[in-house]
Parts: sequence; C-alpha cells; structure tokens
Amino acid sequence: MKLSKQLKIDLSGYLFILPNIIGVLLFFIIPILFSLVISFTDWDFTMGIGNWNFVGFQNFIDIWQDQWFVSSLLNTLLLSFVSVFFIIVISIVFATIVDTYCYGSVAMRLAMFIPKISNIVAISIIWVMMYSPWGPVTQFLKLVGVQNPPKFLGDYTWALPAIIIMMIWSGIGYAVMIYSAALQGLPKEVYEAAEIDGAGAVTKFFHLTIHFLSPTTFFLVVTTLISMFQVFAPIQLMTQGGPGTSSSVLVYYIYTSAFSFYKMGYAAAMSWILFILLFGVTLFQWKNQKRWVNY
Amino acid sequence: MKKNLVMVCLLVLLTSLCFAQGNKEASSTNDEVLLRLWMGIPAENGPQDVVDAFNREYKDKGIQVEYERYVNNDQGNLKLETNLLAGSGIDVYASYGGLTRVAKRAESKMAMDLTPFLQRDNLIPEDIFGETAITLSRVDGVLYALPTTLTKTSFLINKDMFDEAGIEVPTSWTYDEFREIAKKLTKGEGLDKVYGMFWNSTQNFYEVQARLSSRTLGGDWMYAPGANETNLNDDVIVKTLELVNNTMNVDHSAPSHVDTVTQKLTMENMFLNGKVAIVADNFIIRSVKDLKQFPHDFVTAFVPQPVAAKGGDKYTWAQYGDQLSINPKSKNIDAAWEFLKWYATEGVEYMAIGGRIGLAKTLNKDAIMDRFFKGVDEIIDIESAKKYFIYNEGDNLTSTTIFKKAPEIQKVMNEECEAILTERKTAKEGLNDAKKRADEFLKK
Repeated sequence: MKLSKQLKIDLSGYLFILPNIIGVLLFFIIPILFSLVISFTDWDFTMGIGNWNFVGFQNFIDIWQDQWFVSSLLNTLLLSFVSVFFIIVISIVFATIVDTYCYGSVAMRLAMFIPKISNIVAISIIWVMMYSPWGPVTQFLKLVGVQNPPKFLGDYTWALPAIIIMMIWSGIGYAVMIYSAALQGLPKEVYEAAEIDGAGAVTKFFHLTIHFLSPTTFFLVVTTLISMFQVFAPIQLMTQGGPGTSSSVLVYYIYTSAFSFYKMGYAAAMSWILFILLFGVTLFQWKNQKRWVNY
Repeated sequence: MKKNLVMVCLLVLLTSLCFAQGNKEASSTNDEVLLRLWMGIPAENGPQDVVDAFNREYKDKGIQVEYERYVNNDQGNLKLETNLLAGSGIDVYASYGGLTRVAKRAESKMAMDLTPFLQRDNLIPEDIFGETAITLSRVDGVLYALPTTLTKTSFLINKDMFDEAGIEVPTSWTYDEFREIAKKLTKGEGLDKVYGMFWNSTQNFYEVQARLSSRTLGGDWMYAPGANETNLNDDVIVKTLELVNNTMNVDHSAPSHVDTVTQKLTMENMFLNGKVAIVADNFIIRSVKDLKQFPHDFVTAFVPQPVAAKGGDKYTWAQYGDQLSINPKSKNIDAAWEFLKWYATEGVEYMAIGGRIGLAKTLNKDAIMDRFFKGVDEIIDIESAKKYFIYNEGDNLTSTTIFKKAPEIQKVMNEECEAILTERKTAKEGLNDAKKRADEFLKK
C-alpha cells in the first residue's frame, strides 16, 4: 500500500509531537476524564480503582447542603474578586507613576517583581511572622494609636482579609511588569495632542492611559482571577482554613475531602463545580470584552 | 530522509520501553532479601539502632532491613498510603494515633491479616502483649497490626518551678485544684511571661480535650452507647472546655488560643525554654531527652491529668501504638513477618532512647529503663517516669475502639472548640452545636 504524500507528511509531523501528546494525554486529558467519571461515584481512593458505586448526581446535590463547601465557595469568591480588583487598580497606578515620574524605574519594577519569583511557602511563613502579635504589622498599628489591633490569622473577621492583603502584595509585581511593558508601546502623539489641548496628568491617566491599557487589563483580569480561584498553599500554611471556616477556600476543602475524609468522588464533583465556575466567569468576561476593551 | 527519521524515533521509543522493563527485572534477582521499613520516628531516635541490631543478627539468615522515615502528619500519611497503593515499595510499616489509621488501612487492603502467621509459629498474641492490648488492636475481630509500644498519657511538669513555688507535685487533682495551681505558677508580663499551663491548641486540640474527658468517660467518650449519636455535650466534656477556656481567657494562666495560633507556639519551645510549667501531653519526651537540640537543666516530671470531679479518675488514656503491619503487596512477606516478630518482641527495646516504651511482656524491662534514662537521669524525675509512663500495672487503661465518621466529627469538634476558646460561644452552646452537627454525619 502506498500512502499519499500529504498523509506521510502529516504522519511524520504527528510522530514528532508524539512525546508531547503522550504527556498531555497521560497527565491532563485522561485524569480530567477520570475525575469526571469518579465525580458520579462514592469512590474512596484507598480502595483501588474500580471499587466504587455510581451514585448519579448525588455528589452534586449533597454539596449544596454542605456548610463547609458553601462557606469555602463564598470565601473563594470574596478572595478572588477583592484581590483581583485591588491588584488591577494598584498596579495600573503604580505602573504609570513608576513609568513617568520615577528615576531608576527598572530597579523599582524589579523590586516589585520579587514576590512573583519568590517561593510561596517562604512568603507565607514571613507573613505569618508579620501578622503575629509581636510582628511588625501589629506593632505598627499600636504605634499609630490603634488600641486593640486585630489578631489577623487568629481572628474570625480578619483571617481572610489578612490573606487577601498578602495575595494583593504578591500579585502586584507581575501586573506592574505587564502594564509597564504595555505603557512603552502607547502612541506618544496622542499624549502630545492631549497636552496641547491642555490636558493634565490626571485627565491623561483617566481618559487615555486606562483606555489604551484595556486589552492588558483584560488579560490580567482573566489570568489573575483564575490563579486566585486556585489559591491553596498560603491557606494550608497560614491558617488551615481557620479559625472555624473563616479562611477556608474551595481548593483547600477539595484537598481536605479527598485526603482527610477519603471522599474522592465528592472532591471530584467539587473540582468540576470549580471548573464550571471558572469557565463561566471567563466566558462572561470574554463575551463582554467588546463593551470596554479597545484594541 | 524523513522515513529514516521516523524509524529512528520509533526505535528510540521502543528501546527505552525495553530498558524500563529490564531495570525492573534486575532489582528483584538478589540472593539477599532487603526489607523496607517505614516508620514516623527520626532515625537517630531509635530506628537506626533497631536496624543495625537486626542487620547484625540476621546477616547469616539473608535478611537485611533498610529504614525510611515518613513524617507522621496528614501529608506524610498520604505519602505512605500512596506508596502502599502503588505496589511493593514498602514491606513493613508503622501506623500511629490509635486504631483509626490501622482500621482504614485494613479496610483498604493495605495491611495483611496476621492471624495465619501467629498460628503457624504457635504464638498467642494475648500472652505476649496482654489481653487489653490485643482486644484494642483488633479491627472487626482481626489482627492487622501488632501493637509494639505503650504510651500512657500524662502531663509533663517543670518540677523546678513547682518546687520554687512551694507546690507539692500532684498525684491526683480535680479541674478546680488544677486551675488554682496553674494560676500560682503564672508570673511576669509580655514577652517574659511564664505561664502555668500550655494547652497546645493549634495542632489538634480535639486530642488534648479527648484525653482529659476520657479520664472519666473512657476511650469512646465521643459516642453515646450504640454509636448512633455522639456524646459531645456531656457534662464532663463541657467542664473540660470550660476549664481550658477559663485558664486561657479568665485567669490568663495559659497562652490564649489566638496567641497559640498566631505565634505558632509549640510544646517544645514553650516547655523547654522555661516559658511554661505544665504541658498538656508527654509526647515531647523525645525532645526533653534531646539535650543537644534543646539544652535545659530543669527536672521534668510526669503527672496524671486532672479530672472533672473527685472520683472521676476512672481511666488512663493509653495508646497501644506504633502498630506494625505488613504490606500485602510485599514480595518478601515471610521475611517481613520475621522482622515484625523480632521487632515486637526484641527490637523495640532500642526505641527507648527516643522515649518509646516497648509493650511485649518478653521485653527486658531493665534494658528499656537503662536506655530510657541513659544520660538524662539528672533531668527526668525517675520515680514519676516509672509510675506514670513506663510501668502499666494497676491502671485502668483505655483507648478508642469506635471510629465511625471520626475525621468529620473531629473537624466539627475542632471548629466548635475554636469558637469556644475564642469566646464566640460558651462551652455549653458550642458543644450543643457540635453534637447537632456531628450527629448529622452519623445519620448519613
């Protein structure tokens, strides 16, 4: 049998990317499909593959009665949206200031970028110390006259905000870097025209910079939101979801269900809800970008 | 040209597959059996001596053992279980923390039924380890693990601080008496404050209060008879939580829960740096003996835990622990049994260096004692150590035997205790809520 020339070319092409395809199949596609299957079962992973009962949509129904799931979901939403909002606002302002008014802007940007390349474990431990009653944050608050500074990680109302503050701090550097890169490419002539028309710095920022940066903002909102939905390490290291459930997030509860309660099926169902949620949010942003993103 | 490239790619793939297969074969064709032993204790605290002694003794018999430490926390146990699931990487391993994990591992076929081995060697486990120990080690009547150590719970005290304050070392005390003593032992302010008590409420507070409550209620304190509902709002448990709350938030004779969490306070650092007079558990005895890492010169003594009311000291919580099991997937099951038998009846003596006391009646108690006190007889009160830690005669020992929905109930209990200790709820309210929530799980 003689293969057509095109088929031969195609085939050898596939052979070249075969190692990659195998990797993707083994480590992404198959596990994803597998998790979908087990989300309809009551699987306990220590029982081995195949030892499960299909329970239909039971997991997906039970989840909404589960107080731990509901509060973890609410915390996740709060953490994600609040931190993304502040990261974007602070970064866009910082990037503009650093870019226009600062000497040594490269050094500044680099300094801000350090959290991004630091290990999250190290960051978390440092912040635990910062928040401790003898740590700098509490001591500073006392210095400026706060009588009873919050107990941060040990406090029901403050544990989640404390983590949000840390996430904002560690997220800013990356966003500033991306914004700075985008700022370099803005059309100078438009700014000159605006100056001739008498526009000040603030007007230029609100009427030009923000608009020009909207594609970058769109990109950052999508990617940062996705990464914030998946926060796990700081929670595990700093609060273990506590006190109570006040800082528990979805990924952390998925982990607890799977590996402390051994309820793999239930955990898989939650992962799929997390995926649907993320997919929905991203799709919504994608559809709505025409309204505010200017290319 | 292209054709050749394709052929080369295929060849590389095929050969690498062949090699992968070949390597596997090579490792199992060895005359000498090499067993892999997994336990949760640092090698220098006993396991290395165990392994060395075994390897000396069994050199001619062709069995050698290799030690691997896993950290006994959630992640470490997950690592152990994944390894057991995956195959034959482990031959013998130890489980900790009562029967919960053994029961889980037995159910998941990660542990062999040891009855046939015992029968083959004409061994009656009750004769070797004692009736209670074996009864409390069976899962649905089957022995999946041999208990090798006995850990009796007690408090540890800094005896020098007691002497200085002129307080007699208690042999039996109620919560009220305990509270007064803790107050008397508290002194100083701020960073220099020395507390009477440290509850260690971060790691797993559930366990701390479990042991106090079980002094009166027994090992299955958590469940009502029949185990169809919990017993979490029992008077004794309420009193226990009230005591802890009072020392933390009323008397300030113990670091508050919030301080414990936010400053990540640990038993080792608090006790061995002289920042506290009494600690809630004795598992840090390993560190007390470790003068290199924790240099100190005060005398540590063992004292029984207080009880809710006079006459409440019915039981002492004990763990028939360090349960050794054989991985059913092991390729050297007979050799693994040889090791297990040797360890439980002889080898565990070496663990006394790290403060773990062997259980079997065949063990040489004097040798254990020598190892335990070697180099530390100046800083450990020998009389109280013998009475409350090493000997087990005359105590009514108790342990948990029911594990229904235990992880879920523990999580509920930890959360409600946290609410009580941060004064969001009273002990009564918190424990009523805990019971309500935990009962939901038992109904499912």
